[in-house]
Amino acid sequence: MFAFAKNRFSRRVVLALCCTVVACLTALSAQASDLETIEQRGTLRVAVPQDFPPFGSVGTDLQPQGYDIDMAHYLADQMDVDLKLVTVTSANRIPFLQTDKVDLVISSLGKNPERAAVIDFTEAYAPFFLGVFGTPEADPIDESAGLSGKTIGVTRGSVEDMELSDLAPSDTTIQRFEDNATTISAFLSGQVSYIATGNVVAAQIAERNTERAPTMVFQIKNSPCYIGLTQDNDALKARVDALIEQAKQDGTLESMSQKWFHTALPDDLSS
Amino acid sequence: MTLDFSTLLPYTDVILEGLVTTLWLTVVTTVVGIALAVVVAYFRDSASDTARDGRPSLVGRLLGGYVEVIRNTPFIVQLFFLFFGLPALGISISAPVAALLAMILNLGAYTAEILRAGIDSTLKGQHEAARALGLSRLQSFRHVVLVPAFSRVYPSLISQCIIVMLGSAVVSQISVFDLTYAANFIQSRNFRGFEVYLVATAIYLLLAVGLRLLFEFVGRRLFAYRQGGSA
Amino acid sequence: MTDFTLWDIVRNLMLAGRWTVVLSLIAFTGGAIVGLVLTLARMGGLKPIRWLIRLYVDLFQGTPLLMQLFLAYFGAAVLGFDVSAWTAASVALTLFTSAFLCDIWRGCVEAVPSGQWQASRVLGLNYLQSMRHVILPQALRLAVPPTVGFSVQVIKGTALASVIGFVELTKAGTMLNNAAFAPFTIFALVALGYFILCYPLSRYARHLEKKLYGAGIR
Repeated sequence: MFAFAKNRFSRRVVLALCCTVVACLTALSAQASDLETIEQRGTLRVAVPQDFPPFGSVGTDLQPQGYDIDMAHYLADQMDVDLKLVTVTSANRIPFLQTDKVDLVISSLGKNPERAAVIDFTEAYAPFFLGVFGTPEADPIDESAGLSGKTIGVTRGSVEDMELSDLAPSDTTIQRFEDNATTISAFLSGQVSYIATGNVVAAQIAERNTERAPTMVFQIKNSPCYIGLTQDNDALKARVDALIEQAKQDGTLESMSQKWFHTALPDDLSS
Repeated sequence: MTLDFSTLLPYTDVILEGLVTTLWLTVVTTVVGIALAVVVAYFRDSASDTARDGRPSLVGRLLGGYVEVIRNTPFIVQLFFLFFGLPALGISISAPVAALLAMILNLGAYTAEILRAGIDSTLKGQHEAARALGLSRLQSFRHVVLVPAFSRVYPSLISQCIIVMLGSAVVSQISVFDLTYAANFIQSRNFRGFEVYLVATAIYLLLAVGLRLLFEFVGRRLFAYRQGGSA
Repeated sequence: MTDFTLWDIVRNLMLAGRWTVVLSLIAFTGGAIVGLVLTLARMGGLKPIRWLIRLYVDLFQGTPLLMQLFLAYFGAAVLGFDVSAWTAASVALTLFTSAFLCDIWRGCVEAVPSGQWQASRVLGLNYLQSMRHVILPQALRLAVPPTVGFSVQVIKGTALASVIGFVELTKAGTMLNNAAFAPFTIFALVALGYFILCYPLSRYARHLEKKLYGAGIR
């Protein structure tokens, strides 16, 4: 019906499409930012959690606050650059680093072989014990075989997800949620009777929900938090490591621990 | 970064498991959702005896409210409400049940509207004539109103079922092991997000095409007798 | 730990609701522009172009919006673009909207009787002139109700941007729920927020449709 083709117009569209295809095929790789780039830019971009109290959550003004956010502020202050906080979920914090959306991930990141294959870690900056938590009435479990038949909620892609997937018996149902907020909501709603998470997170939930306070029934492992950065970024890694060491020495970490965890740092993290 | 699909191979069974869930969710939703839509359309059919004074009955109005609420709020919010909100009232439903319920309520609401458009275009006189010939209200609704309405709106119905199938990707957000959940799971294990999502998207596209062909085949069978005369 | 009053929740949801509105406007405006270009190109273009646009429309209509968002978000980075949640959500929703609008509008242009085309060509109008003065004004009348109706789908579509971390109404809901834990109230309020945005548009679309078809144009 509409056979009155306008050839000039069509050709331009074809040309544009070809250009797009070529641009896509050349598939440039995202160049990671090193220490020099950050200093030139004058801004440190840090991925922090917004759904993981006390490491990072939102106040009534929806601004992020918590241990990880304080850590990010500390690093930016010491490096004498501005700070840009980027809130991430557990699932997308590594892609953020890989695609150079951020320079550092300070997001209660635990170390495991899968992650070590794609990113680098600094020294540990925060304590973290992973466990399976149940309601106050739940019975303690001595070994992983005791998880048999239970349904456990966990945040997809987190260290506890990896660990639990490895050690849980095959008839344990692991329900994976997109982010920590959803995992915690699922536990508080009673949608799952158990969750795998960190001790400090559980303590925080317990503080606000006494009737369904998560109680540790099984300890998975001691998994302190590390700051994540891209591989082969040695100058930045050395700088951050030095600042973490300094924070351990001058009591900065200790006071952050008191402020957010209401407890002293464990021995392996204090000076 | 270059594309590398080989890292997906060890996860074939994960993708299959997700695919199976997506398929059965879609099948159950299609059957129950369309049945729900017929019931809703029946009670909202202003030409039937449920509305003697010409205004919708109370049931009709309540169902109208249901249709409007579903059509004017996002599926993901409905899902969160069913999964997280209802337990606060003591009604706890599992993730797959919440997903299925939300999908059925959605297809039901949209299909009821689609059917209504088909029903509205049925001439009032035909319905009255059928009643005069001694057909019961249900019989007349079924033969004179519903079947012609179905064949008239069948193309829209196909599209709606496909939309609901594609929308089911969102149920992964409440931990239902569907195709998207499988893709997310693999992404969190091999950090190859783009490749995983490309493959999952391609599978969804194939599902959509397959579903359309299947529906068209069924439609040709169901409404075959009408095609010759009225078209 | 901070305590949230009902007002804190409502206030934060309203603040986040602004971004739902902004994102919807971006997606709708962008989608309308791209959709219009595609519709025109599809009507007048060569066969391969028509075929390509049809493929484009089928691709976006045949895949989940959630996947489109994931691909825009993680895929753009692989292709070398630095994309924020804002850009990814805007781009994905714009493309999604353009595909659906292109399809809706093609239907409207085709609904204009072909005699109108032939008549305007006989009168000496060229393709663009016939399009502008004869076909589009008629198609436009047919296009308004379904376009307004589709805007509701765009608003609801923005809720999925929450999954890639874009803080709009739905994301604010899950964030607040994590801090205040009142899922029933919070998700009911979130749903109410969308209903307030969408319902008037739905009603208006239906009203326009009745007016159009009630007037006997078919």
